[in-house]
Amino acid sequence: MEMNDPLRREEKKESTPDRKDDGPSRPDVSRPGRDDLLKRMKKVDPKQSEKYKQRTGQ
Amino acid sequence: MSVPLIGLETEYGIIREDLDTSDPVEESMKLLECCPRKSVFRAWAYHREHTHVDMRGFQVDRLEQDEEEDEFCEQDRQRPYSYWEMKSDRVLVNGARFYNDHTHPEYATPECRTLFDLVAHDLAGEEIVRECVRRRNQDLGGSPLQVFKNNTDYSGHSYGTHDNYLISRRLPFDTWVRYLVPFMVTRQLFAGAGKIGSEGRNDQPFYGLQLSQRSDFVESLLSIETMTKRPIINTRDEPHASTQDYRRLHLIIGDANMSPYATALKVGTTRQVLAVIDQERLPPAIELADPVSDIKRVSRDRTGQVALKRTSGKTITPLEIQEWYLEHAGNSGAEDGDPQESEWVSREWARTLHDLRHQPEKLADRIDWAIKESLFNDFMEAEGLSWKDPVLQSVDLEYHNIDPDRGLYYGMQQAGEVTGLIPEKRIEKALDTPPKGTRAEIRGQMVDRELDRIKKIHWTGIEFDNGDTLDLTDIILPEDVERMLNSNKEQFAWK
Repeated sequence: MEMNDPLRREEKKESTPDRKDDGPSRPDVSRPGRDDLLKRMKKVDPKQSEKYKQRTGQ
Repeated sequence: MSVPLIGLETEYGIIREDLDTSDPVEESMKLLECCPRKSVFRAWAYHREHTHVDMRGFQVDRLEQDEEEDEFCEQDRQRPYSYWEMKSDRVLVNGARFYNDHTHPEYATPECRTLFDLVAHDLAGEEIVRECVRRRNQDLGGSPLQVFKNNTDYSGHSYGTHDNYLISRRLPFDTWVRYLVPFMVTRQLFAGAGKIGSEGRNDQPFYGLQLSQRSDFVESLLSIETMTKRPIINTRDEPHASTQDYRRLHLIIGDANMSPYATALKVGTTRQVLAVIDQERLPPAIELADPVSDIKRVSRDRTGQVALKRTSGKTITPLEIQEWYLEHAGNSGAEDGDPQESEWVSREWARTLHDLRHQPEKLADRIDWAIKESLFNDFMEAEGLSWKDPVLQSVDLEYHNIDPDRGLYYGMQQAGEVTGLIPEKRIEKALDTPPKGTRAEIRGQMVDRELDRIKKIHWTGIEFDNGDTLDLTDIILPEDVERMLNSNKEQFAWK
């Protein structure tokens, strides 16, 4: 049943709290994905947050 | 069932990068105009809203906003648009409401029964907003319009992500408040989206990464207000259901999570805590001496170990508070909802608190503030920056950009560094399919089948051109939906 897909996905990869040897580990910064992300971060306009003016919402 | 319906409302930030000054009223209206989805347009039944009624048994004449927003609203009244045009309400075939709230494009999910339906619909909302941005940028040329799923502009303006829970009116409101406050003060340990810097009025400045975007803006314990003096518990009494039987807990303290795992944990744990409050199974509540100040204290300590004063004179840490709730509410959903979802919530709640206490770096694949911490640490190291460098606020903002080619969360997703939760197929389905067994199913089907006949529409019902009405106020449980569909088979010929 489709509704259970997330549960099955989690069951495959997640650990229980008392097991220290599995579950997600700290992302490996040597992976190419992380290098691409750092490149993406370098492209950010350093003034972006200053220019980003919003009105108060709820 | 203690919490039969749940929902999320997200106000998005919007900006035109090619203009010196971006006009959010114009941009948000244009964005909504671009929506290609089948929907009832500009027909929201505002006369059915009751936002001035307070849970504490009184009514206010008006809701407050600050002077700056008063001036903006005065300017808005001079625009050549009607209120309806500026709001640009759409009700979609999936039962959701997509409109402009205080100049922010807002996606309110349909009412959901199950946690993972809700997360799927929140993600579908993101996709629908993104679809509108793409179309608007096609008209403009290039990609000058950018939209962000976050809660702050880093200059003192906040906009909300509200989580909603339909609960029983049987217990006094004070009981809900007493048990909820410590939970809400500390939920940011895993539900915080992270924010660089601080914006609080008259506060000590803070440099670096806070747990939460919204904590700087929480100024009171209880209030009906949502734009000033924002409270830990909002007291708006508007259940969108029978006022005899239900309350809608309208929580405005939460952050917009990019991580669907964090969204699920935020709503799932809250629902389980509400279930044990409803079942009156909790021992005496933890009483914090100064919960409003504690919100900021908790947000500015990423270890979860800061000492919070109790009314008893003793202290307790945020982690200990969450562990108390886990102990007492961790299994509540098993008897009161979908057992598989409840099992997921209990397991992941325990795992997350355990990791925070023992190996916090492990949270970097699923908790937004921890993903940011890992990412920003690498960036600072590579660029020789410190937490005080202002560029980090711009990088922080970009984490929330919903453009998949720019957004840093999406970059993490594309690199396979964050935990996925909802299969793409299920998100696609939620784009045009309402959650099963809810009144949103009836609303969505009516939008799909009777679009040209609908005069007004609201969470609680539909008014048709010929004067007919469809009242959904009491349609709460799946059996109510079934009964309504079976009671008038001609009206629901599509069933």
